[in-house]
Amino acid sequence: MDNSNKKQIVISPVTRIEGHAKISLQMDDSGQVTDARFHVNEFRGFEKFCEGRLYTEMPVISARICGICPVSHAISSVKACEMIQGVEPTYAGNLLRRLMHVGQNISSHALAFFHLSSPDLLLGYDSDPAKRNILGIAEKYRDVAIRGIRLRKFGQEISERITGKKIHAMGIAPGGIAFPLTEENRLALLNWIPEAKETIHIGINIIKKFHDENEAMVKSFSPTPTLYLGTVGSGGQHELYDGKLRFVDADGVILQDHVEPKRYLEFIAERSVNWSYLKSPYYKPYGFEKGIYRVGPLARLNVASRMKTPEAQVEFEQFKKINNSKPVHGTFYFHYARLIEALSGIEEAEIILNDKLITDKHVQHFARWNNHVGIGCSEAPRGTLFHHYITENTGKIKKVNLLIATGQNNPAMNRSILDVAQQYIHGDKIEEGMLNRVESAIRCYDPCLSCSTHAMGDMPFMVELVNAEGKILKRIARDN
Amino acid sequence: MAKLTLQIDGKTIETESGRTILEVCKENDIHILTMCHLKGITDVGACRLCLVEIEGVSKLLSACTTKIADKMVVRTDTEKIKRYQRITTELFAAERNHVCSVCIANGHCELQKLAYDVKMDHIRYPYLFPQCEVDTSHPLYVLDHNRCIVCTRCVRVCAEVEGAYNWDVMNRGTNVRVISDFNTPWGESVTCTDCGKCVEACPTGALWPKAVVQGQLNKAPQMISELIEKRKMKL
Repeated sequence: MDNSNKKQIVISPVTRIEGHAKISLQMDDSGQVTDARFHVNEFRGFEKFCEGRLYTEMPVISARICGICPVSHAISSVKACEMIQGVEPTYAGNLLRRLMHVGQNISSHALAFFHLSSPDLLLGYDSDPAKRNILGIAEKYRDVAIRGIRLRKFGQEISERITGKKIHAMGIAPGGIAFPLTEENRLALLNWIPEAKETIHIGINIIKKFHDENEAMVKSFSPTPTLYLGTVGSGGQHELYDGKLRFVDADGVILQDHVEPKRYLEFIAERSVNWSYLKSPYYKPYGFEKGIYRVGPLARLNVASRMKTPEAQVEFEQFKKINNSKPVHGTFYFHYARLIEALSGIEEAEIILNDKLITDKHVQHFARWNNHVGIGCSEAPRGTLFHHYITENTGKIKKVNLLIATGQNNPAMNRSILDVAQQYIHGDKIEEGMLNRVESAIRCYDPCLSCSTHAMGDMPFMVELVNAEGKILKRIARDN
Repeated sequence: MAKLTLQIDGKTIETESGRTILEVCKENDIHILTMCHLKGITDVGACRLCLVEIEGVSKLLSACTTKIADKMVVRTDTEKIKRYQRITTELFAAERNHVCSVCIANGHCELQKLAYDVKMDHIRYPYLFPQCEVDTSHPLYVLDHNRCIVCTRCVRVCAEVEGAYNWDVMNRGTNVRVISDFNTPWGESVTCTDCGKCVEACPTGALWPKAVVQGQLNKAPQMISELIEKRKMKL
């Protein structure tokens, strides 16, 4: 293929996301963007090197995939271990795990909104890139920056008060958790609730003000319809920790409901592409082209019938009005959805902390290896997360499959970049602010590339030899 | 026993003959780093951490296997000894696959504590990254060769305290492996009594109970020493 008449813009690295990636935009002679690709160029290999370990080590090993959502990995993993053992967690153990999961969600969403995205919203997309970060926010909006940092701290402190560690907590064990919560720590966490609620409402006001002042931009920011996947409770309510899967289509029609997570392979297939370490999952019944679906805060609010907590329900009803109770497709609304989830999390944390049995000492059941296969699922901050293990008779891991939220959003992220690039980039005159808008399309998804590039094995690979004029002289491809 | 006098780190000590330098040091609150030593079982000088300088002897000797002598002058805290202890610890870390962050023994590991003691902030030797087996065949315990430093505490405890002789050592150099029976899976052992003393004696995460996860491991090697003392009592 002769590409000499094409121009390429490369944004590398993509900033203010977790991990390393680049974006390449293909342009034709008239300066119109014809294709966009989100390349994830980091590589982890967890699925491979976990082979041969004892299955009960997986909650600890897999938590190291990510420093932002280690609890979600540990929870999905420990559920897979519990399926292998055929054991249920104790009431208090399960509640403490749920509290940790909620805490991590608050902390991750605070990071995504206040640290990574608020600079665009408060300082402007075209502001000085050197100051378009949390330090720039601290300079101009000191209170917002401090509150955002403290909200993240609250989420992490939940983990610390239960397990002794802010990040990569120990003790999430099959059958429950290793450590009970002390009364002193319970009260200390409860003290945080009023401040955390105030902060999240400040965040919600920021995003709503931005929506009002930039209505056209927000509505037109990559509104391409997709399918959505999320977890719901028994009554269809929003759920992060335990529940069943629900797929809805672009019009909000429920395609699959109350699907046991262990059946995920019946509905999700994966495809590898030759320009990224990130796989491209799709909704199996619709095939690769039509089966693009999204996960994460926007998807979870799009699939949920209601929220579990009162203040979040008020915001949820306003969110639903955006598209007349149908799924909200605009990628920019990820931010709003994320803040509603964080509010719900703070309210849920308060409810959990007031549960009479939260400080119960009976936090763990014990069992041995009983089944070969374990599949666990939870809603990580970025979306539905699956851990799937196959073990030998003695509990040694034979095969690992991790289906990560960011991976599931991969096809949609590519589409969003193309949408935004085609909207903002025309001709030769390209300004930094335009590129920042393209990057921000990715930032809406809050991708975690450390999480998503876990695979190893049949990775397609391509080497291109390009001359000074950009003409491809030779291409060596290895496809799977 | 005959009395003799020696000097350790400038301190004059009068004690009985027939004892090791390590025993005398411990009795006199002179701290020496150890790893393969476990009170009550035979010392073998495997880890080379308790090396001491003895006046008139050109090479360093292990305190756990060297008997004291009259008028012996011993140094335990020289720069040379500290350098060797650091080298030894780095070699432990480089030889197999020690990853504290995901290890069952994280926070309760003698090797990890040793690394802090010798201030091991980096490793100057290339990692070997050997492919090591994890033996999960035993219903209660796991043997992970990745984390084994071949101190042989398990081998000696099994033979000398439990009397089962389940554990032994095969091969040499970096290929050395602790083996169960005649190198069969631990779960198929005909000698193992499932007593768990080897697990308690193991200083790292090489031997651990299946029932625990990271943060729950709390080994008690001193329990072995206490058991030996109690068995000596004539009640």
